Formats: sequence, structure tokens, C-alpha cells
Amino acid sequence: MTVATYTTPMTAAAVGIPAGLREKISIRNLDFFYGEHRALKNISVPLYHGKVTAFIGPSGCGKSTLLRVLNRMYDLYPNQRAVGKVTLDDEDILSPAQDLNLLRAKVGMVFQKPTPFPMSIYENIAFGIRLYERLPKSELDSKVEQALIRAALWDEVKDKLHASGLSLSGGQQQRLCIARTVAVRPEVILFDEPCSALDPISTAKIEELIDELKDDYTIAIVTHNMQQAARVSDFTAFMYLGELIEFGETTRLFTSPSDPRTQDYITGRFG
Amino acid sequence: MQRPNRREPVVDVALPGDAVLVSGPVERARALRRLRVRDAAFRHLTRLAAGAVLAILGGIVVALVQGAWPAFSRFGFDFLITESWNPVTEKFGAIAPIYGTVVTSFIAMVVAVPVGLFIALFLTELCPRWLRRPIGIAIELLAGIPSIIYGIWGLFVFAPFLQQYVQPVIIDLFGGVPLLSTLFAGPPYGIGLLTAGLILAIMILPFITSISRDVFDAVPSVLKEAAYGIGCTTWEVMWHVVLPYARVGVIGGVMLGLGRALGETMAVTFVIGNAHRIAGSIFAPGTTISATIANEFTEAVGDLYTSALIALGLILFVITFVVLALARYLLMRLNARVGG
Repeated sequence: MTVATYTTPMTAAAVGIPAGLREKISIRNLDFFYGEHRALKNISVPLYHGKVTAFIGPSGCGKSTLLRVLNRMYDLYPNQRAVGKVTLDDEDILSPAQDLNLLRAKVGMVFQKPTPFPMSIYENIAFGIRLYERLPKSELDSKVEQALIRAALWDEVKDKLHASGLSLSGGQQQRLCIARTVAVRPEVILFDEPCSALDPISTAKIEELIDELKDDYTIAIVTHNMQQAARVSDFTAFMYLGELIEFGETTRLFTSPSDPRTQDYITGRFG
Repeated sequence: MQRPNRREPVVDVALPGDAVLVSGPVERARALRRLRVRDAAFRHLTRLAAGAVLAILGGIVVALVQGAWPAFSRFGFDFLITESWNPVTEKFGAIAPIYGTVVTSFIAMVVAVPVGLFIALFLTELCPRWLRRPIGIAIELLAGIPSIIYGIWGLFVFAPFLQQYVQPVIIDLFGGVPLLSTLFAGPPYGIGLLTAGLILAIMILPFITSISRDVFDAVPSVLKEAAYGIGCTTWEVMWHVVLPYARVGVIGGVMLGLGRALGETMAVTFVIGNAHRIAGSIFAPGTTISATIANEFTEAVGDLYTSALIALGLILFVITFVVLALARYLLMRLNARVGG
């Protein structure tokens, strides 16, 4: 068991990561505890700049937990702690001195269920921008518009910007949340099963969006849908029971996985 | 359509072995008929209970209007704007108790709403887990104290305390400031509008706190995480996300508290001073509608005197109704604007 986890970075190197990739986030020997329960075991994995990294694996394997470490969301709850080294551009994320608000501005997150704030569509986006910048109305308007265009939502909502965010459909709400995340201008965006509550058409739109966003952002996505992982990601990490079993380029991992458990999972034999 | 009693026999219970109970078609029909009768009885029972509320409410309104009629026909609209309240000459006016009711309730809300919300936010968002239960139980105990106890405590402990330590300081402090010097004009009696308002604040605090706490608890944690996720501070999450999300419930709790404050009798009667006049200062003694009624019903000998007191009751009823209606309207406007 430990062999697979321990050698993952080397496996990744062995399959020949194209030169010119930069590690935006680097996770080294990460353990995570819910109280006494050890939910992540010695995880080491890189997130490359400008690439989409997918995390797949059966429920409860720690994928979402891993994402929640990257923006320190677990800090909201008592008895949850992470041990190890996680860096964002050589800055230690896990350090107690880390400014959490700043970190979360740099590492945005989109959740499984759409989470529009109880305010208008416009305010949902302007709210996040105002946290960091004082802008005149016209500039704020244009920033909101850009964010909505970026999230491929502008055409659908431009005539009802002051309607409630909750009046949108599920797929639109999710894109609103993406627009909200983008508006804060993060460097990394974490998607935690962003499509699991959506219909196929909305799912396709969000996947397209992720594909466009990756030019400017480093993206991590947790998904239960292996086709989705294969479609949107450049790198895939397979996790099982809190361990990282295999990490590599998506095309390689899906066509010739090196671990039998990865093979079993992607062919649907368990999970 | 096939009738239920024409159906094939239904297997009710499968027993081990060959014994299988089968209810016959006739028996089944009878059972269904029996259920239908019960269903109808239940329906009528609930309708009756709901109707009883309307009947009681209507009865109270009719009785109040009838009782208040002599006073209203004698004084007309002047009853609402006259300050004098003289049982000897039988000249009655309601503006002093109305003023006292509104001012004490207003003071109570100004104090209790922020404090109650702060307590609720602290309990749901910031409080260490082990401290939650003790504080929560303390709040609920506060709600369980009978109002007469608040009255006694207010009269013998709280009012002297205010008189000795708080009011002189405030009078000195704002003595030279225009407007405020009128609002906080002496002498420090101890009992008065402010004291009554503060006692009311303590009394309605548990309502506002416990209802707000419940609605804050119901805010989905993923919504809060989303707000933290774009870099909000705890304050920003609470102010911009938790409060707006929970606003309907919070306003409900506030209105419940306001309703109690408007109608509270015993504690207020003890500490308000029972003076039928309007003074500019909130340190001055005053009276409220319910305090007036409670104090004077036993001595109201004349028909007009009694009628004037009932008229006060009717006014209180109307004030409460208007406040509740306004709250509904406000809520509707708010929902139309923000949605959901």
C-alpha cells in the first residue's frame, strides 16, 4: 500500500511530465485528522499552474477533505487538523500565521450544491469584489459584467441583474457561483463535485467553462464522474481510503493505469 | 373505476406455515367505511378548532368596542389626543398611556434587538461548544421568570441602582447638550420610562435570542463556507450572509418580543411611576396602557371611567395589530426586493 503513495511523485516524473510545468500548489506528506480519525494518509501531489487536476475515487476516500485543506476551510471546525507541508508558490498554507482571508481570496472554491448568497445577482458578485477593492460604480459594473461573461452567464441574466440570485435555475446558480469566485481574481479554483446536482446540459456548460478558465487559473476538481475527469482534466489523481494511489497525466492514467486498484476503479469493478 | 370492495382479497399478514390470513371483501368495505367516518370527524374537528380562534377573536373585538363605546361617544377623537386623566371631573384622554406604551417598547427594542442578535450570533458562530448549553439554558431560564418577579426586582433593586449610580451621571453628562438635556432631564427618580423600558428589554431578550439562535442554526453551513471561501471575515459572513438568510425568522422573533413588550403589565406597573402625563425626559415617571388598566380597574366606579379603561384596551389591541400588520408588510416588501 505505502509503496504506491510514496512513489507517486516519481511515477509522475517517470511518465514524462512535459517541461515548462510549474508547481502552483505542492502537497507533501499531508495527513488529515477528524478528531482521532486519520482521513488522509501521507498524501503528496502537485497541482500544476494552468492545468486542471482531477481527483477521483470512491465516496469517503478523502478527495473533498484534500480540497478543504487547500483553502483551510477545515479551520472553521474544531477538532480538524492537517499535518504536513502544503505550499502555494512557496508560501506555507498550513502555517498558523497564514492570513486565512487572503488565502481564500487566492484559492477560490465552488461547492457541490450551488450556494448563491441571499441577495441579487449583481450583489452576489459585487459583494466579493467589494471585500477587496473600493471601486466607483461604473468600474464595479464593468467588473461584474466581466465576471458574468467569464462564467458564460451574462446573456442569460443581463436583463435581470437585480433579481434574486435564488431565482435562477440550478445550473445558472452554479455558474453564478463560479462568476462570484472568478470576480475575486483567485489564482487557484477548487471545484468540489460542481456538477453533481446539475442536469447534463448545465454540466456540459460548466465543463466548457472549466476548460476556458484553465488558461488563467490553476484548477482542481473533485468528481465522481470518471468521464468528466477524463474530459476536463490534464492530470488525474486516484484516491482510495485516504491514500493517493496513483497520479499522472489523465490520458495515461485512464489508458494504462499502473496500479491494479486504479484499473479496477476506472473500469467500474468497485466504487 | 373499480370499487374497493370489489377487489381481490388482500393478504394482510403472511404467517409461517400454511396459515395465511385473508380478509374478505365485505370486511374490507366495512373497514374502509369506518375510516371514512373517522376521516370526516377529524376534518371537522380541525375546522372547529380553527374556527374557534376566529370566534374568540371576534368576540373580544365586539366586547371591547361595546365597552369602549360610552367613552368614545363622549369624547370622540379627542380621547386619543387629550393628556388629562381626571376621574373626579370625569375627563379622560389616552395620549399619555399611548405615549408611555410606545416609548417603553421602543427603548426595550433598541436595547434588546442588538443584544439578542449578538447573543444568538455568538452562540451559533463563535461560542466554544462547552459554553453553548449553559448560556442557552440561562437564556431560557430568563424567559421562565414570572413578570411579577421582574417587577419586584425592578422596584427594589434595579430602580434604586439606576437612581443612585446611572441617572445622575447621565444627567451631568448631557446637561449642556441641547435636545439630549431634555431627553435625559432630571431629577433622577429611579422609576420611570427608561427603567420600565430596560426591564422590558430584559424580559423580551430570551424571545429574540432563542428564535434568532434557531434560525441562525438553520443557515446551511455550505453557504457560510462559500462566503468564507471568497475571503469573508466572520463579521462579513454574519452580516451579509447569515443575517439576510435568516431575516424572516429574526423579524418573527423581534415581533414576538415587541408584542410582549407592548402588552406587558405587571413588571411595568411596578417601575413606571404611574403618572398620567407626557414629559420630555425618559427619566420621568409615566404610564402605559396596560399599567393604567391594571392599576385603576378596581377603583373605576363610574361607567364612564370603566369605559375609558376598556377604550384603552381597545387602543392597545389596535396598536398591536397595526404593528404586526406593518411587520408583515415590511417582510413582503423585503422578500419582493431580495427574493426567496
